[in-house]
Amino acid sequence: MGMQAGGGDHLQSEINVTPMVDIMLVLLIIFMVVTPFLQQGITVAIPRDLKNPDEDQAINKETSVIISVPNDNEYYLGKKKVNLDDLKSAVEKALANKKEEDKIVYIKSGVNVSYGEVVKVINAVREKGVDKIGLVADRKKKGATAAAAPAT
Amino acid sequence: MGMSAGAGNRAVPYINVTPLIDVLLVLLIIFMVVTPLKPSRFKADIPTQRDPNEDVSKLKPNPLTLVVSITTDLQIKLNQDLMGSVNDTSALAAKLQQTFQQRKEQHAYKVGMETATSTPEDQRIEKTVFVKAPRALKYGDVVKVIDAIKGAGASPVGLQVDDLP
Repeated sequence: MGMQAGGGDHLQSEINVTPMVDIMLVLLIIFMVVTPFLQQGITVAIPRDLKNPDEDQAINKETSVIISVPNDNEYYLGKKKVNLDDLKSAVEKALANKKEEDKIVYIKSGVNVSYGEVVKVINAVREKGVDKIGLVADRKKKGATAAAAPAT
Repeated sequence: MGMSAGAGNRAVPYINVTPLIDVLLVLLIIFMVVTPLKPSRFKADIPTQRDPNEDVSKLKPNPLTLVVSITTDLQIKLNQDLMGSVNDTSALAAKLQQTFQQRKEQHAYKVGMETATSTPEDQRIEKTVFVKAPRALKYGDVVKVIDAIKGAGASPVGLQVDDLP
């Protein structure tokens, strides 16, 4: 590089990529830093490609209560593994400072978990005065629906 | 560039950054694709803790109550009528939509909403649907049915958690 097939070595036909690399690196670092914050909690095989769940940014909020059930008899509150009895007091504590209408508990359950497990969690939280739950599910991507629509 | 402070123009110190940029771009794209996972959820109501001393016999059953129950062999029932299976919820969705449309025409309002003219008409129609599923069922199947119910326009969706098989 730096040597051209052209005549002298005064003429340079190369793009200065240094500023571009700078910007790329900064963007990359931003995304790397931001990503772990967005995926809080543990990984659960939540139901995918559903048509009608409502979007709710509150799920990503740190203050919202998310109970994950990745497998039967495994309960996580946020990232912490808890058993069913501790879950009740932990939920009560987490909801203590919330207004009545904000008392919603999100349940992230794996597709292969039996419904009885989810019912157990519901039974535990309703003892603490919760009457609204959010079943976290993945919405079908818009592009995928558009592609699938003509087929039906 | 190309010219160094050194003597000739043969030894040019220059790092080939092209592979570096390639790798960076790929990483950048991966992170950009992964990041905007917009979370979504189904809102469902659950019954509050039952008072054991409450006299249930005095409660009048609502004739507009819709209960979608799933049997252990994955059949769906709306009240008492069979409505296809978990893998094909279109019959259930169509029936629910038809029911809500009918109620709209007949002005079948929610209890306590008959005179609340300030709320939009759509929100006053009784569209409550309860879901009842046995404990042995997979959660994924239950969510599929809830998806169909929500798609038909039901709100709120209630989960029955007492006396499940």
